[in-house]
Amino acid sequence: MKRQGPVLLAFIIGMLMLIQFFTPNPLFLRIYNLFLDWKQVVLGCTLILGTWSLIRHHTRKIERKQENWQYSYVTLIGLAAMVLAALIWKTEGGPYTWMFQNMQVPMQSTMFSLLAFFVASASYRAFRARTFAATLLLIAGAVVMLGRVPVGALIGGSIGGHEVTVSTVADWILNVPNLAAKRGIMMGVGLGMTATAIKIILGIETTYLGKSD
Amino acid sequence: MAFYDRMMKIDRRIIYLCMTLAVALPLIAPIGMPVQVSDETRGFYDHIEDLEAGDIVLFSFDYEGDVMAELNPMSIAALRHLFRQDVRVVALTTYAGGTGIAQGILERVAAEYDKHYGTDYVFLGYNPDWSGTILRLGESFKATYPADQFGKSTREIPLMQEVETYDDIALLISIAGSALSEYWAIWAGGRYGVTVVSGNTAIQAILIYPYYNAGQIPGFLGGLKGAAEYEKMVGKPGLGIKGMDAQSVAHLLMLSFIVVGNIGYFLSRRHEARLKRE
Repeated sequence: MKRQGPVLLAFIIGMLMLIQFFTPNPLFLRIYNLFLDWKQVVLGCTLILGTWSLIRHHTRKIERKQENWQYSYVTLIGLAAMVLAALIWKTEGGPYTWMFQNMQVPMQSTMFSLLAFFVASASYRAFRARTFAATLLLIAGAVVMLGRVPVGALIGGSIGGHEVTVSTVADWILNVPNLAAKRGIMMGVGLGMTATAIKIILGIETTYLGKSD
Repeated sequence: MAFYDRMMKIDRRIIYLCMTLAVALPLIAPIGMPVQVSDETRGFYDHIEDLEAGDIVLFSFDYEGDVMAELNPMSIAALRHLFRQDVRVVALTTYAGGTGIAQGILERVAAEYDKHYGTDYVFLGYNPDWSGTILRLGESFKATYPADQFGKSTREIPLMQEVETYDDIALLISIAGSALSEYWAIWAGGRYGVTVVSGNTAIQAILIYPYYNAGQIPGFLGGLKGAAEYEKMVGKPGLGIKGMDAQSVAHLLMLSFIVVGNIGYFLSRRHEARLKRE
Protein backbone atom coordinates (compact mmCIF):
# COMPACT_ATOMS: atom_id res chain seq x y z
CA MET A 1 0.00 0.00 0.00
CA LYS A 2 2.99 2.25 0.67
CA ARG A 3 3.71 2.25 -3.06
CA GLN A 4 0.27 1.42 -4.44
CA GLY A 5 -1.36 4.43 -2.77
CA PRO A 6 0.81 7.10 -4.48
CA VAL A 7 0.64 5.24 -7.81
CA LEU A 8 -3.18 5.16 -7.58
CA LEU A 9 -3.23 8.84 -6.64
CA ALA A 10 -0.99 9.69 -9.61
CA PHE A 11 -3.29 7.69 -11.89
CA ILE A 12 -6.49 9.40 -10.68
CA ILE A 13 -5.07 12.93 -10.75
CA GLY A 14 -3.25 12.32 -14.03
CA MET A 15 -6.42 11.04 -15.71
CA LEU A 16 -8.51 13.91 -14.30
CA MET A 17 -6.07 16.49 -15.63
CA LEU A 18 -5.94 14.72 -18.97
CA ILE A 19 -9.72 14.58 -19.32
CA GLN A 20 -10.30 18.17 -18.22
CA PHE A 21 -8.13 19.39 -21.09
CA PHE A 22 -10.56 17.93 -23.61
CA THR A 23 -13.88 18.74 -21.94
CA PRO A 24 -15.60 22.04 -21.13
CA ASN A 25 -17.52 20.32 -18.30
CA PRO A 26 -17.74 22.80 -15.35
CA LEU A 27 -17.04 20.02 -12.82
CA PHE A 28 -13.71 19.21 -14.43
CA LEU A 29 -12.93 22.93 -14.64
CA ARG A 30 -13.53 23.25 -10.89
CA ILE A 31 -11.26 20.27 -10.22
CA TYR A 32 -8.62 21.76 -12.51
CA ASN A 33 -8.73 25.12 -10.68
CA LEU A 34 -8.63 23.37 -7.32
CA PHE A 35 -5.51 21.43 -8.30
CA LEU A 36 -3.86 24.61 -9.60
CA ASP A 37 -4.58 26.30 -6.25
CA TRP A 38 -3.16 23.32 -4.36
CA LYS A 39 -0.10 23.40 -6.62
CA GLN A 40 0.52 27.04 -5.72
CA VAL A 41 0.17 26.27 -2.02
CA VAL A 42 2.56 23.31 -2.29
CA LEU A 43 5.08 25.41 -4.24
CA GLY A 44 4.81 28.13 -1.59
CA CYS A 45 5.57 25.56 1.10
CA THR A 46 8.68 24.42 -0.77
CA LEU A 47 10.11 27.88 -0.14
CA ILE A 48 9.90 27.20 3.60
CA LEU A 49 11.45 23.79 3.08
CA GLY A 50 14.20 25.31 0.92
CA THR A 51 14.99 27.97 3.52
CA TRP A 52 15.12 25.38 6.29
CA SER A 53 17.37 23.15 4.17
CA LEU A 54 19.71 26.09 3.45
CA ILE A 55 19.98 26.99 7.14
CA ARG A 56 20.59 23.37 8.16
CA HIS A 57 23.22 22.83 5.46
CA HIS A 58 25.22 25.90 6.45
CA THR A 59 24.93 25.48 10.22
CA ARG A 60 26.22 21.89 9.84
CA LYS A 61 29.05 23.16 7.65
CA ILE A 62 30.04 25.64 10.36
CA GLU A 63 29.74 23.03 13.13
CA ARG A 64 31.96 20.55 11.26
CA LYS A 65 34.38 23.24 10.06
CA GLN A 66 34.11 21.93 6.50
CA GLU A 67 36.04 23.53 3.65
CA ASN A 68 35.22 27.28 3.26
CA TRP A 69 32.94 27.13 6.31
CA GLN A 70 33.55 30.86 6.92
CA TYR A 71 31.46 31.74 3.86
CA SER A 72 28.49 29.98 5.41
CA TYR A 73 28.36 32.81 7.96
CA VAL A 74 27.99 35.27 5.04
CA THR A 75 25.06 33.24 3.66
CA LEU A 76 23.30 32.97 7.02
CA ILE A 77 23.87 36.62 7.95
CA GLY A 78 22.67 37.71 4.48
CA LEU A 79 19.55 35.58 4.80
CA ALA A 80 18.78 36.86 8.30
CA ALA A 81 19.44 40.49 7.32
CA MET A 82 17.06 40.39 4.35
CA VAL A 83 14.31 38.62 6.29
CA LEU A 84 14.58 40.94 9.29
CA ALA A 85 14.73 44.06 7.11
CA ALA A 86 11.59 42.96 5.27
CA LEU A 87 9.76 42.12 8.52
CA ILE A 88 10.72 45.33 10.34
CA TRP A 89 10.74 47.95 7.57
CA LYS A 90 8.58 46.12 4.95
CA THR A 91 9.61 45.74 1.32
CA GLU A 92 8.74 49.27 0.18
CA GLY A 93 11.78 51.50 0.55
CA GLY A 94 13.97 51.25 3.64
CA PRO A 95 16.92 48.90 4.26
CA TYR A 96 15.37 45.94 2.42
CA THR A 97 15.08 47.84 -0.86
CA TRP A 98 18.46 49.47 -0.29
CA MET A 99 20.15 46.08 0.21
CA PHE A 100 18.36 44.64 -2.80
CA GLN A 101 19.23 47.53 -5.13
CA ASN A 102 22.75 48.15 -3.88
CA MET A 103 23.96 44.69 -2.93
CA GLN A 104 21.99 41.87 -4.49
CA VAL A 105 21.41 43.38 -7.94
CA PRO A 106 25.04 44.59 -8.44
CA MET A 107 26.38 41.22 -7.24
CA GLN A 108 24.11 39.31 -9.63
CA SER A 109 25.05 41.64 -12.50
CA THR A 110 28.74 41.30 -11.69
CA MET A 111 28.61 37.52 -11.68
CA PHE A 112 26.87 37.48 -15.06
CA SER A 113 29.16 40.16 -16.52
CA LEU A 114 32.19 38.01 -15.74
CA LEU A 115 30.90 35.68 -18.44
CA ALA A 116 32.05 38.17 -21.09
CA PHE A 117 35.65 37.66 -19.95
CA PHE A 118 35.40 33.91 -19.56
CA VAL A 119 33.63 33.47 -22.91
CA ALA A 120 36.25 35.64 -24.65
CA SER A 121 39.10 33.61 -23.17
CA ALA A 122 37.40 30.23 -23.65
CA SER A 123 36.31 30.88 -27.25
CA TYR A 124 39.85 32.03 -28.13
CA ARG A 125 41.23 28.73 -26.83
CA ALA A 126 38.45 26.38 -27.97
CA PHE A 127 37.45 27.73 -31.41
CA ARG A 128 40.16 26.03 -33.47
CA ALA A 129 39.49 24.72 -36.99
CA ARG A 130 40.81 21.23 -36.13
CA THR A 131 38.14 19.23 -37.99
CA PHE A 132 35.46 19.90 -40.62
CA ALA A 133 32.72 20.01 -37.97
CA ALA A 134 34.78 22.35 -35.78
CA THR A 135 35.38 24.61 -38.81
CA LEU A 136 31.65 24.73 -39.57
CA LEU A 137 30.91 25.62 -35.95
CA LEU A 138 33.62 28.25 -36.01
CA ILE A 139 32.28 29.89 -39.18
CA ALA A 140 28.65 29.77 -38.02
CA GLY A 141 29.62 31.17 -34.61
CA ALA A 142 31.66 33.97 -36.14
CA VAL A 143 28.89 34.94 -38.58
CA VAL A 144 26.19 34.97 -35.88
CA MET A 145 28.45 36.86 -33.48
CA LEU A 146 29.02 39.58 -36.07
CA GLY A 147 25.51 39.44 -37.45
CA ARG A 148 23.90 40.10 -34.08
CA VAL A 149 25.57 43.51 -33.74
CA PRO A 150 25.18 46.57 -36.00
CA VAL A 151 28.64 46.17 -37.51
CA GLY A 152 27.40 42.98 -39.23
CA ALA A 153 25.02 44.99 -41.38
CA LEU A 154 27.92 47.08 -42.64
CA ILE A 155 29.95 44.11 -43.90
CA GLY A 156 28.78 42.69 -47.22
CA GLY A 157 27.79 43.67 -50.72
CA SER A 158 25.52 42.98 -53.65
CA ILE A 159 25.45 39.41 -55.00
CA GLY A 160 23.28 38.80 -58.06
CA GLY A 161 21.24 41.91 -57.34
CA HIS A 162 20.63 40.87 -53.72
CA GLU A 163 22.09 42.78 -50.79
CA VAL A 164 23.99 40.18 -48.76
CA THR A 165 25.53 41.20 -45.45
CA VAL A 166 26.86 39.27 -42.48
CA SER A 167 23.59 40.11 -40.74
CA THR A 168 21.46 38.55 -43.49
CA VAL A 169 23.62 35.40 -43.44
CA ALA A 170 23.30 35.30 -39.63
CA ASP A 171 19.52 35.62 -39.98
CA TRP A 172 19.53 32.71 -42.44
CA ILE A 173 21.56 30.57 -40.02
CA LEU A 174 19.13 31.36 -37.21
CA ASN A 175 16.00 30.93 -39.33
CA VAL A 176 16.94 27.77 -41.22
CA PRO A 177 19.57 25.40 -39.72
CA ASN A 178 19.07 26.63 -36.14
CA LEU A 179 15.29 26.50 -36.50
CA ALA A 180 15.35 22.98 -37.97
CA ALA A 181 17.59 21.68 -35.18
CA LYS A 182 15.54 23.36 -32.46
CA ARG A 183 12.26 22.03 -33.88
CA GLY A 184 13.71 18.54 -34.04
CA ILE A 185 14.83 18.78 -30.41
CA MET A 186 11.46 20.20 -29.34
CA MET A 187 9.56 17.40 -31.04
CA GLY A 188 11.83 14.82 -29.43
CA VAL A 189 11.43 16.42 -26.02
CA GLY A 190 7.65 16.69 -26.50
CA LEU A 191 7.29 13.03 -27.42
CA GLY A 192 9.58 12.04 -24.55
CA MET A 193 7.52 14.07 -22.08
CA THR A 194 4.28 12.55 -23.35
CA ALA A 195 5.69 9.03 -23.08
CA THR A 196 7.00 9.66 -19.56
CA ALA A 197 3.70 11.21 -18.47
CA ILE A 198 1.76 8.19 -19.76
CA LYS A 199 4.17 5.84 -18.00
CA ILE A 200 3.74 7.75 -14.71
CA ILE A 201 -0.06 7.82 -15.01
CA LEU A 202 -0.16 4.09 -15.74
CA GLY A 203 2.23 3.29 -12.89
CA ILE A 204 4.98 1.94 -15.17
CA GLU A 205 7.41 4.70 -14.20
CA THR A 206 7.69 4.93 -10.41
CA THR A 207 11.14 6.38 -9.82
CA TYR A 208 9.49 9.52 -8.41
CA LEU A 209 8.59 7.42 -5.37
CA GLY A 210 12.24 6.92 -4.55
CA LYS A 211 14.07 3.59 -4.13
CA SER A 212 11.98 0.46 -3.69
CA ASP A 213 12.14 -1.29 -0.34
CA MET B 1 58.60 30.05 -27.55
CA ALA B 2 57.93 30.22 -31.30
CA PHE B 3 55.87 33.11 -32.64
CA TYR B 4 52.95 30.89 -33.61
CA ASP B 5 52.96 29.38 -30.13
CA ARG B 6 52.62 32.85 -28.69
CA MET B 7 49.68 33.45 -31.02
CA MET B 8 48.02 30.35 -29.58
CA LYS B 9 48.82 31.04 -25.95
CA ILE B 10 47.95 34.67 -25.28
CA ASP B 11 47.78 35.25 -21.53
CA ARG B 12 44.17 35.37 -20.39
CA ARG B 13 44.88 38.55 -18.42
CA ILE B 14 45.68 40.33 -21.71
CA ILE B 15 42.36 39.08 -23.12
CA TYR B 16 40.54 40.33 -20.01
CA LEU B 17 42.22 43.74 -20.24
CA CYS B 18 41.41 44.09 -23.96
CA MET B 19 37.80 43.06 -23.27
CA THR B 20 37.50 45.66 -20.50
CA LEU B 21 38.74 48.38 -22.85
CA ALA B 22 36.55 47.13 -25.71
CA VAL B 23 33.43 47.45 -23.54
CA ALA B 24 34.36 50.59 -21.59
CA LEU B 25 35.80 52.87 -24.29
CA PRO B 26 32.77 52.85 -26.64
CA LEU B 27 30.52 53.59 -23.66
CA ILE B 28 32.70 56.60 -22.75
CA ALA B 29 33.20 57.76 -26.34
CA PRO B 30 30.30 56.42 -28.48
CA ILE B 31 30.99 55.57 -32.11
CA GLY B 32 27.35 55.80 -33.23
CA MET B 33 26.93 52.53 -35.14
CA PRO B 34 23.82 52.62 -37.34
CA VAL B 35 21.03 50.40 -36.01
CA GLN B 36 18.90 48.57 -38.59
CA VAL B 37 15.49 47.33 -37.48
CA SER B 38 14.82 43.60 -37.92
CA ASP B 39 11.45 42.01 -38.77
CA GLU B 40 11.26 40.44 -35.29
CA THR B 41 11.55 43.84 -33.62
CA ARG B 42 9.08 45.37 -36.06
CA GLY B 43 6.60 42.63 -35.12
CA PHE B 44 6.98 43.47 -31.43
CA TYR B 45 6.59 47.21 -32.12
CA ASP B 46 3.58 46.78 -34.42
CA HIS B 47 1.66 44.72 -31.87
CA ILE B 48 2.00 47.49 -29.28
CA GLU B 49 1.34 50.17 -31.88
CA ASP B 50 -1.93 48.44 -32.83
CA LEU B 51 -3.26 48.67 -29.26
CA GLU B 52 -5.89 51.26 -28.50
CA ALA B 53 -6.08 53.67 -25.58
CA GLY B 54 -7.60 51.90 -22.57
CA ASP B 55 -6.52 48.41 -23.66
CA ILE B 56 -4.99 46.28 -20.93
CA VAL B 57 -1.62 44.57 -21.34
CA LEU B 58 -0.17 41.86 -19.09
CA PHE B 59 3.51 42.63 -18.61
CA SER B 60 5.67 39.89 -17.11
CA PHE B 61 9.15 40.68 -15.81
CA ASP B 62 10.68 37.21 -16.14
CA TYR B 63 14.18 38.04 -15.01
CA GLU B 64 16.44 39.05 -12.15
CA GLY B 65 19.50 41.25 -11.66
CA ASP B 66 21.89 39.01 -13.59
CA VAL B 67 20.47 39.91 -17.01
CA MET B 68 19.07 43.36 -16.25
CA ALA B 69 21.75 45.08 -18.36
CA GLU B 70 20.29 43.35 -21.40
CA LEU B 71 16.62 43.32 -20.48
CA ASN B 72 15.99 46.55 -18.54
CA PRO B 73 16.32 48.68 -21.72
CA MET B 74 13.58 46.54 -23.30
CA SER B 75 11.26 46.81 -20.30
CA ILE B 76 11.74 50.57 -20.06
CA ALA B 77 11.23 51.14 -23.80
CA ALA B 78 8.15 48.87 -23.92
CA LEU B 79 6.52 50.57 -20.92
CA ARG B 80 7.20 53.99 -22.44
CA HIS B 81 5.57 52.82 -25.65
CA LEU B 82 2.55 51.46 -23.76
CA PHE B 83 2.02 54.48 -21.51
CA ARG B 84 2.51 56.85 -24.44
CA GLN B 85 -0.50 55.16 -26.05
CA ASP B 86 -2.50 55.29 -22.81
CA VAL B 87 -2.52 51.52 -22.61
CA ARG B 88 -3.03 50.18 -19.08
CA VAL B 89 -0.59 47.69 -17.62
CA VAL B 90 -1.03 44.75 -15.26
CA ALA B 91 2.50 43.71 -14.30
CA LEU B 92 3.89 40.70 -12.47
CA THR B 93 7.16 38.85 -12.09
CA THR B 94 7.93 35.14 -12.09
CA TYR B 95 11.21 35.67 -10.21
CA ALA B 96 11.60 36.59 -6.55
CA GLY B 97 14.50 38.87 -7.44
CA GLY B 98 12.41 40.49 -10.15
CA THR B 99 10.11 42.32 -7.74
CA GLY B 100 12.51 45.17 -6.92
CA ILE B 101 13.53 45.56 -10.55
CA ALA B 102 9.96 45.57 -11.84
CA GLN B 103 8.71 47.94 -9.16
CA GLY B 104 11.56 50.40 -9.82
CA ILE B 105 11.00 50.43 -13.59
CA LEU B 106 7.20 50.70 -13.30
CA GLU B 107 7.37 53.64 -10.87
CA ARG B 108 10.01 55.42 -12.91
CA VAL B 109 8.27 55.13 -16.30
CA ALA B 110 4.81 55.76 -14.82
CA ALA B 111 6.10 59.02 -13.32
CA GLU B 112 7.44 60.08 -16.75
CA TYR B 113 3.94 59.77 -18.24
CA ASP B 114 1.97 60.85 -15.16
CA LYS B 115 0.33 57.44 -14.76
CA HIS B 116 -1.30 56.46 -11.50
CA TYR B 117 -1.13 53.21 -9.58
CA GLY B 118 -4.38 51.31 -9.45
CA THR B 119 -6.00 52.95 -12.44
CA ASP B 120 -3.26 53.05 -15.10
CA TYR B 121 -1.06 50.24 -13.86
CA VAL B 122 -0.91 47.53 -11.21
CA PHE B 123 1.94 45.42 -9.92
CA LEU B 124 0.80 41.99 -8.77
CA GLY B 125 4.26 40.96 -7.57
CA TYR B 126 5.79 37.51 -7.37
CA ASN B 127 4.14 34.13 -7.15
CA PRO B 128 6.47 31.16 -6.51
CA ASP B 129 4.64 28.76 -8.86
CA TRP B 130 5.27 30.21 -12.32
CA SER B 131 3.65 27.34 -14.27
CA GLY B 132 0.59 27.33 -12.03
CA THR B 133 0.42 31.11 -12.31
CA ILE B 134 0.40 31.08 -16.11
CA LEU B 135 -2.39 28.48 -16.19
CA ARG B 136 -4.42 29.84 -13.28
CA LEU B 137 -4.50 33.39 -14.72
CA GLY B 138 -6.46 31.88 -17.60
CA GLU B 139 -9.24 31.04 -15.15
CA SER B 140 -9.05 33.95 -12.70
CA PHE B 141 -6.59 36.78 -12.11
CA LYS B 142 -8.04 37.57 -8.70
CA ALA B 143 -7.89 33.97 -7.49
CA THR B 144 -4.27 33.72 -8.61
CA TYR B 145 -3.36 37.04 -7.03
CA PRO B 146 -5.77 37.80 -4.16
CA ALA B 147 -3.50 40.75 -3.28
CA ASP B 148 -1.05 42.94 -5.18
CA GLN B 149 2.64 43.39 -4.35
CA PHE B 150 1.76 45.84 -1.57
CA GLY B 151 -0.80 43.62 0.09
CA LYS B 152 -3.87 45.44 -1.21
CA SER B 153 -6.77 43.22 -2.22
CA THR B 154 -7.01 42.99 -6.01
CA ARG B 155 -10.81 43.20 -5.65
CA GLU B 156 -10.38 46.77 -4.40
CA ILE B 157 -8.05 47.93 -7.19
CA PRO B 158 -10.02 49.79 -9.90
CA LEU B 159 -8.00 48.45 -12.84
CA MET B 160 -8.39 44.87 -11.63
CA GLN B 161 -12.19 45.24 -11.75
CA GLU B 162 -11.83 45.00 -15.52
CA VAL B 163 -9.52 42.00 -15.54
CA GLU B 164 -10.85 38.54 -14.86
CA THR B 165 -9.12 36.22 -17.36
CA TYR B 166 -6.85 36.41 -20.40
CA ASP B 167 -9.95 37.39 -22.41
CA ASP B 168 -9.58 40.87 -20.93
CA ILE B 169 -5.93 41.11 -21.96
CA ALA B 170 -5.17 42.68 -25.34
CA LEU B 171 -1.52 41.63 -25.39
CA LEU B 172 0.90 39.70 -23.20
CA ILE B 173 4.50 40.90 -23.03
CA SER B 174 7.15 38.65 -21.48
CA ILE B 175 10.61 40.11 -20.97
CA ALA B 176 12.59 37.01 -20.08
CA GLY B 177 16.07 35.84 -19.26
CA SER B 178 14.95 32.21 -19.38
CA ALA B 179 12.50 29.95 -21.22
CA LEU B 180 9.51 31.70 -19.60
CA SER B 181 8.51 33.43 -22.86
CA GLU B 182 8.15 30.02 -24.45
CA TYR B 183 5.86 28.84 -21.64
CA TRP B 184 3.73 31.98 -21.86
CA ALA B 185 3.37 31.29 -25.60
CA ILE B 186 2.59 27.59 -25.11
CA TRP B 187 0.17 27.86 -22.18
CA ALA B 188 -1.28 31.38 -22.20
CA GLY B 189 -1.08 31.68 -25.99
CA GLY B 190 -1.84 28.09 -26.96
CA ARG B 191 -4.53 27.26 -24.43
CA TYR B 192 -6.15 30.66 -23.83
CA GLY B 193 -5.50 32.39 -27.15
CA VAL B 194 -3.80 35.51 -25.84
CA THR B 195 -1.24 37.10 -28.19
CA VAL B 196 2.28 36.90 -26.76
CA VAL B 197 5.29 39.01 -27.75
CA SER B 198 8.60 38.81 -25.94
CA GLY B 199 11.94 40.36 -25.17
CA ASN B 200 14.78 37.94 -24.59
CA THR B 201 18.47 37.77 -23.88
CA ALA B 202 20.60 37.14 -26.96
CA ILE B 203 21.21 33.53 -25.87
CA GLN B 204 17.51 32.88 -25.30
CA ALA B 205 16.44 34.69 -28.48
CA ILE B 206 17.86 31.88 -30.61
CA LEU B 207 15.32 29.53 -29.04
CA ILE B 208 12.42 31.85 -29.84
CA TYR B 209 12.75 31.49 -33.63
CA PRO B 210 10.56 28.34 -33.86
CA TYR B 211 7.74 30.20 -32.09
CA TYR B 212 8.29 33.32 -34.19
CA ASN B 213 8.23 31.40 -37.45
CA ALA B 214 5.11 29.50 -36.39
CA GLY B 215 3.37 32.77 -35.43
CA GLN B 216 3.08 31.78 -31.76
CA ILE B 217 5.29 34.74 -30.82
CA PRO B 218 4.64 37.24 -33.63
CA GLY B 219 7.40 39.61 -32.55
CA PHE B 220 10.36 39.61 -30.20
CA LEU B 221 13.36 41.64 -29.17
CA GLY B 222 16.57 39.63 -29.34
CA GLY B 223 19.23 40.73 -26.89
CA LEU B 224 20.63 44.21 -26.56
CA LYS B 225 20.46 44.55 -30.35
CA GLY B 226 16.70 44.06 -30.24
CA ALA B 227 16.46 46.60 -27.42
CA ALA B 228 18.46 49.12 -29.47
CA GLU B 229 16.29 48.57 -32.55
CA TYR B 230 13.15 49.00 -30.48
CA GLU B 231 14.44 52.15 -28.79
CA LYS B 232 15.10 53.54 -32.25
CA MET B 233 11.53 52.77 -33.34
CA VAL B 234 10.02 54.20 -30.15
CA GLY B 235 12.17 57.31 -30.65
CA LYS B 236 13.68 57.31 -27.17
CA PRO B 237 17.34 56.29 -27.34
CA GLY B 238 18.49 54.62 -24.15
CA LEU B 239 20.91 52.05 -22.79
CA GLY B 240 20.22 49.66 -25.67
CA ILE B 241 21.54 52.02 -28.36
CA LYS B 242 24.39 53.09 -26.07
CA GLY B 243 25.39 49.48 -25.56
CA MET B 244 25.46 48.62 -29.27
CA ASP B 245 28.86 50.24 -29.86
CA ALA B 246 30.37 48.40 -26.91
CA GLN B 247 28.86 45.08 -28.01
CA SER B 248 30.05 45.57 -31.62
CA VAL B 249 33.62 46.29 -30.52
CA ALA B 250 33.58 43.43 -27.98
CA HIS B 251 32.38 40.96 -30.64
CA LEU B 252 35.00 42.18 -33.11
CA LEU B 253 37.67 41.78 -30.45
CA MET B 254 36.59 38.22 -29.67
CA LEU B 255 36.67 37.37 -33.37
CA SER B 256 40.12 38.93 -33.70
CA PHE B 257 41.43 36.72 -30.90
CA ILE B 258 39.84 33.65 -32.50
CA VAL B 259 41.42 34.50 -35.88
CA VAL B 260 44.84 35.06 -34.27
CA GLY B 261 44.56 31.74 -32.42
CA ASN B 262 43.66 29.91 -35.64
CA ILE B 263 46.48 31.50 -37.64
CA GLY B 264 48.85 30.34 -34.90
CA TYR B 265 47.30 26.87 -35.05
CA PHE B 266 47.76 26.57 -38.83
CA LEU B 267 51.34 27.86 -38.68
CA SER B 268 52.14 25.33 -35.95
CA ARG B 269 50.64 22.50 -38.03
CA ARG B 270 52.64 23.59 -41.07
CA HIS B 271 55.78 23.67 -38.95
CA GLU B 272 55.07 20.18 -37.57
CA ALA B 273 54.46 18.84 -41.09
CA ARG B 274 57.74 20.32 -42.27
CA LEU B 275 59.61 18.74 -39.36
CA LYS B 276 58.08 15.34 -40.20
CA ARG B 277 59.15 15.63 -43.84
CA GLU B 278 62.68 16.45 -42.78
